[in-house]
Amino acid sequence: QIYSSDLSSTIWGHLDFRLPPLYAAFVNGVAVHSMDFDDTWHPATHPSGAVLPAVIALSEAFPQKKKISGLDLLLAFNVGIEVQGRLLHFSREARNIPKRFHPPAVVGTMGSAAACAKLLALDQLECKNALAIAASYAGAPLANAATQIKPLHVGNAAKHGLEAACLALQGLQGNKQILDTESGMGAFYTDYNPQTLPTLQSYPWLLDQQDVAIKRFPAHLATHWVADAASAVRRKLVESNENLLPLDKIEKVILKVPEVKYVNRPSPVSEHEARHSFQFVACSALLDGSMSVQSFNSENVHRPALRELLCKTQLEHPPDNTPSFDSLYCEVRVKLRDGNMISDCCTTFYGHWRKPLKKEDLEKKFQSNALGILPAEAMEGIIETVYNLEKVEDCSVLSTFLSGQSARALPEKL
Amino acid sequence: PEDTVTGSFASFIHAARPEHLSQTVRQRSKRMILDSIGVGLVGSTTRVFDIALSYCRLYSSVAVSSVYGKPGVKLSPTLAAFTNGVATHSMDFDDTWHPATHPSGAVLPALLAASQMLPPSTKPSGLDFLLAFNVGLEVQGRLMHFSTEAHNIPKRFHPPSVVGTLGSAAAAAKLLSLSSAECCHALGIAASLAGAPMANAATQAKPLHVGNATRLGLEAALLAARGMEANPLILDDIPGCSGFSAFYSVYQPKPLPAPGGHHEFLLEKQDIAFKRFPAHLGMHWVVDAALSVRNLFVNYAGSFSPSLIRAIMLKIPVSKYINRPFPSSEHQARHSFQFNACAALLDGEVGLGSFSESSIHRQELRELLHKVVVEHPEDNVANFDKMYGEVALLLHSGDVLTGKCDTFYGHWRKPLSKESLLKKFRSNASHVLPEEKIEAIITLVDNLETLSDSSQL
Repeated sequence: QIYSSDLSSTIWGHLDFRLPPLYAAFVNGVAVHSMDFDDTWHPATHPSGAVLPAVIALSEAFPQKKKISGLDLLLAFNVGIEVQGRLLHFSREARNIPKRFHPPAVVGTMGSAAACAKLLALDQLECKNALAIAASYAGAPLANAATQIKPLHVGNAAKHGLEAACLALQGLQGNKQILDTESGMGAFYTDYNPQTLPTLQSYPWLLDQQDVAIKRFPAHLATHWVADAASAVRRKLVESNENLLPLDKIEKVILKVPEVKYVNRPSPVSEHEARHSFQFVACSALLDGSMSVQSFNSENVHRPALRELLCKTQLEHPPDNTPSFDSLYCEVRVKLRDGNMISDCCTTFYGHWRKPLKKEDLEKKFQSNALGILPAEAMEGIIETVYNLEKVEDCSVLSTFLSGQSARALPEKL
Repeated sequence: PEDTVTGSFASFIHAARPEHLSQTVRQRSKRMILDSIGVGLVGSTTRVFDIALSYCRLYSSVAVSSVYGKPGVKLSPTLAAFTNGVATHSMDFDDTWHPATHPSGAVLPALLAASQMLPPSTKPSGLDFLLAFNVGLEVQGRLMHFSTEAHNIPKRFHPPSVVGTLGSAAAAAKLLSLSSAECCHALGIAASLAGAPMANAATQAKPLHVGNATRLGLEAALLAARGMEANPLILDDIPGCSGFSAFYSVYQPKPLPAPGGHHEFLLEKQDIAFKRFPAHLGMHWVVDAALSVRNLFVNYAGSFSPSLIRAIMLKIPVSKYINRPFPSSEHQARHSFQFNACAALLDGEVGLGSFSESSIHRQELRELLHKVVVEHPEDNVANFDKMYGEVALLLHSGDVLTGKCDTFYGHWRKPLSKESLLKKFRSNASHVLPEEKIEAIITLVDNLETLSDSSQL
């Protein structure tokens, strides 16, 4: 807020002030990833958070007479997603859960630059430069995952991609072979094999063949398998125990998970750590039956029953459990004091691309998230607008709803 | 926890005091400050600077910080830092250290901007400023020592964008008097803002690396001051989950000793190289070698007669991004052994004007470029401490004249004299400032330790 002039762009959920597009993109991007609640793709990245805040913020910065249609926005968004996916395919490393650089900071920045370049209608040369400039902003080490900084990776990806496109528009030039060379995008990977994109004639969009996973609760994707398995185990335990969870009869909780160091946290203390902990989510789901936004609040993170259960929890890494969102599985095994073992294995959680959320459940998630922040009319307005995005003449209606204004305030825009 | 590498850095930043600066360190760092300002001033006349400035002017609300060469223009602190950082590296005229990075451009602009941001009652003194500057340099140097990779001319990530960002965060954290924990987080946040690939070197985007390093480092410190927290082990070795090690293939971090006592600033033992003309450091060896063989040639032939030359043989280290037989832009020309050798041969000197459009494209120069042959002797290591440049003229007559340079004038082994440094500064600053202002800056920097309000700079 310190650096705010040219106040054109909405901060989602806030009617009271605006920011320049760069900072709006940043702040909204941070919001999107703040709880690790946003979408995840395969190969692994969080594609939307790096792109949507940037294109929306940018669309608000155009002069009044230049309208951006819903279709323009949808196209730019998809360009941004596609570029990310294609880049991820250039390295075999990218197929597994990352260890070195956090993917949104790498490909997300490039995706944002591409999407913004599209919206700004940059010519081919300017698009090349936008990508080249963006590459010099890309990359953040994984060690900041599970800290308060991680959301900034997405915020910065959105912001810097937008900045790169704007600088390219002003004529700044970078290396026009930035995606081709090892010393370009290749710098972020140990194996890098770029390919040219297919021609636009009947273009095979990656999103066509590979959907995203939508999270049902705000934590690292790998914990979703654990949650489903743990919930199933709880049901079995409770059935055989008069509908009560036999906590004191539990001797050990064993989680068979892939080896992902930054999600292996036996005793998380902050909300960020809790969202990146197999152990925490397993115990939470065992205790409560399901996970929600509230599962990660301070009270729940520190409750004694949970801490006790955490002490009984250990991880195992079966060699066949590869750290890839496409193939990993999680088994939760509870050993009771009487020697009995109750277990369940989850190979595909509900929300994964193999078992996508149904329309009602996606809307339910949206409504639950927007509740209390946007008025009901704005909520419905957004759902309506997004479903019919191709027909929307002026996508600024979306921004108006996002700032919390209701439908009655803008009949002419609809 | 002080036993971690990251913790030791945070403690160092927090606990360093002016008394810890030795005389040598003070003197060397003041030279760097002066050179950096001069280079930034002349850099404010470049195209890349224009783009950066016009972009930043969109966002300048709390406009308190000055911009090189633009009296009356003020920007928000981080954007002023960005713009001035871009100016500093715009012509590749700024200082270079060993292990390789451009240390001052990543730190000075952030400090200048931040000093103007602080309220009158808490303005840092010149001594505070000098200390913060040195903290920023020291952090960069120490980080580079964590990887043997860093000793050679880089191939993957451009060092200013890696260590420069953390150096800026450290310096800003020091100037803003952050607590030890906040210093730690500033470093952690900065790591997530670091890193730009080498491929943009020799393009117009390269100056952004320094601009962003200094800007984002300042941002990191400001975020840390507001309570943002990152991984407190960001500089430590964390197997399976990379922190700062993400930028290197080999990474062996060590804790920093506490200031005073056993700690010695790296600048004490390892000085900086200042450039005499605006091009990549590697060019300086080749130019000095070319000038020496040119003298021989002129004595031999009476004048410089290119028609007598059959071939020009350059013996240089292997480094792809500075090996360019036919550069087409000023940025490429500044990163071309071949171009710099030929310009030196033709003109008898290399300066600002050598890199103009007309100079780059002139017929005589292109003809000479066609005669250049490049060799990479095994003993010529791509390392600013060990490399050499050799230029041999193979004449049609069969004679061979050779010039070799192990240590160019301006290198840390043969530092610029005070007069030469001042001459460079005056020449640079005169592009945008009147004489009184120029002399005032020289005096101010020379007496930095006695200044009570460093925002005067």
